[in-house]
Amino acid sequence: MPCKRQPRKFFIWVFDNYMGSVLFNAFSFLQKKLKAQNIPCVNAVLDLKDGQCVKDILDALGIEPQEIEGVFVNGKIAPLDTLLHDGDRIAALPPGTPGPYRLLLGLVSSPNNESDKKSDTFKCK
Amino acid sequence: MSKILRINTREKTYSFETPAEDIAGLGGRALTSKMILNEVPATCHPLSKYNKLVFAPGLLSGSPAANSGRLSVGGKSPLTGGIKESNSGGLVSQKLARLGIKALVLEDKPEDDGFSMIVIKKDSVEFFAADEYVGVSNGDMITKLWERFGKRVATASIGVAGEQRLTAASIQFADPKGHPGRAAGRGGLGAVMGSKKIKAIVVDDKGTDRVALHDPEAFKAVNKKWVELLTTHPVSGQGLPAFGTAVLVNVINEAGALPTKNFRTGRFEHAKDISGEVMAENIEKRGGVASEGCHPGCVIKCSQIYNDKDNNYLTSGFEYETIWAFGSHCLIKDLDDIAMLDRLCDDLGLDTIDTGVAMGIAMEGGVIPWGDGKAAIELLNKVGTGDPMGKIIGNGAAFTGQALGVDRVPVVKRQALPAYDPRSVKAVGVTYATSTMGADHTAGYGVCQNILGVGGSIDPLKKDNNVDISKALQIATAAIDASGLCLFVAFPVLDNPEGLQMIVDMINAMYGLSLVVDDVTSLGISILKDELEFNRLAGFTPKDDRLPDMFKEEVAPHNTSWDFTDEELAQAVKF
Repeated sequence: MPCKRQPRKFFIWVFDNYMGSVLFNAFSFLQKKLKAQNIPCVNAVLDLKDGQCVKDILDALGIEPQEIEGVFVNGKIAPLDTLLHDGDRIAALPPGTPGPYRLLLGLVSSPNNESDKKSDTFKCK
Repeated sequence: MSKILRINTREKTYSFETPAEDIAGLGGRALTSKMILNEVPATCHPLSKYNKLVFAPGLLSGSPAANSGRLSVGGKSPLTGGIKESNSGGLVSQKLARLGIKALVLEDKPEDDGFSMIVIKKDSVEFFAADEYVGVSNGDMITKLWERFGKRVATASIGVAGEQRLTAASIQFADPKGHPGRAAGRGGLGAVMGSKKIKAIVVDDKGTDRVALHDPEAFKAVNKKWVELLTTHPVSGQGLPAFGTAVLVNVINEAGALPTKNFRTGRFEHAKDISGEVMAENIEKRGGVASEGCHPGCVIKCSQIYNDKDNNYLTSGFEYETIWAFGSHCLIKDLDDIAMLDRLCDDLGLDTIDTGVAMGIAMEGGVIPWGDGKAAIELLNKVGTGDPMGKIIGNGAAFTGQALGVDRVPVVKRQALPAYDPRSVKAVGVTYATSTMGADHTAGYGVCQNILGVGGSIDPLKKDNNVDISKALQIATAAIDASGLCLFVAFPVLDNPEGLQMIVDMINAMYGLSLVVDDVTSLGISILKDELEFNRLAGFTPKDDRLPDMFKEEVAPHNTSWDFTDEELAQAVKF
């Protein structure tokens, strides 16, 4: 899906650049954990800042990478460095999803897939 | 396991025989499919005396292997007209194994209308008149049978749906707690049992010894690793015990693959209200049981007891497929209504998938309003009464669609599609189209992708690789179905290359064989070949391996459509 360029909303320069919002869901154990901490995680509308990617949103919510098995962006499993846009829909999935859907939805990567290796310096792509 | 127990339902006689050489090494689905191919004329009417009903434990059933107590039930399906294997938990598999019975075969059919039941013990096989139990629900049946024959005997029974030979009729099995929540659900095998006028089968292994193992020490060592594999994997060790299969509601909805309003879209706005997370919350609040196994020796424990608002038992074995079929498919958003519908299916003896899809078709046809859970409950209660609508619904989705003149009927080989839109998860769609079982989701499950050579990236929305994946999964699933292992062992095995070797090692230690992992693949392929041959003889052609045209339309949110050609699909069942 090609990157969409959003028209910039111009605010007074002291404020951060505001790029819109995303719809956020967490499932299974993650939902339970976030609910216990009163963090919105069921059809939650979260502010999105310019240049943020999935990992930035998860960091802000206090979700560690090892708590995640996969993330959906607009209904497809996507890497954590996926750049987000206004109106995107994201969902965080902890380990434990049953079904061959682990394979079929791309949650379980092929053992030959190099891109899954984590790097030390993390940058949004 | 050394004997085949054949029961003639017309004469009420029985005999034990030594298995012939070509079936001596088989179990579970491998055995049922081979016997049906060998012994049932593929063109017979499935409700006639020529059909047979075969109950077979798996190769590992009766052993201490964790999660090995599943049962295969096979026959010619009255729903699809093809071969059928239905797989279930419960107590029958292990008890048959302990009695040394490799397969129990119901043959012929009575000439009169009287119902019987069969009680199998260590030293006897007896027939009892069962007319007093006609019309009794499966739940009450288990209570009566446990009172009469002993607590925790294994039971298999049919409800009114099977008694009336309706094509969505299931065979229900007592779970370890005595609830009727386990089912050989798909394909109408309950109608076959009803056509032979058998209301129930009781299996009592009292007085038997443990199943002998060729090398008990070796077996114990592997089983220890096997248990660790199952309990430490996040799916089998945490996800399934906590939320059951219902955890998939939110996930599949997120993926845009949750069929909503009879496969019109892939997302349901109320998915979160019928999710596994809400189910788990309700269970906790209402004093239910969050995690229990469907057979002794299960360490995954994905089943549960769901109570109603007054904290009374409502249903068990509350699965994702059921929640989908009576939920987003019908636009019903009340989880308690859906639980009642699940309970009714257990008691009436109906496949929840075909019945749920039929319910949505009843809404499509204007019989009851979309999303009306109470009306659905009222309609389902008509099954078994004199009301013709009850007969229609109880015959499943295809029959209901025809009776009501509906043009959107999501079936393959007349069996209703399960809970994943084929346009958003294309490999599952290939399985729906090409499986010998009709539209079936469990036929294409997963084992180690390395062994099966499935590599590369998987895009569920594109055609690439999905035929190969479906083919590999169908082979692997068939093999697991022969072992007596619960299909959910596939999740840890999919992620751990040693898992498949452990299964092979346990079979070798039990029987003194020297199988290797490649033999698993060969076994899976040979099962599929037997089934394909039966279906060919029954008159199936490649044109039966198609999804209905309604799936050529695009579905939101991904706006993909079903675009495989017959030639592409044919590769999935080419061996």
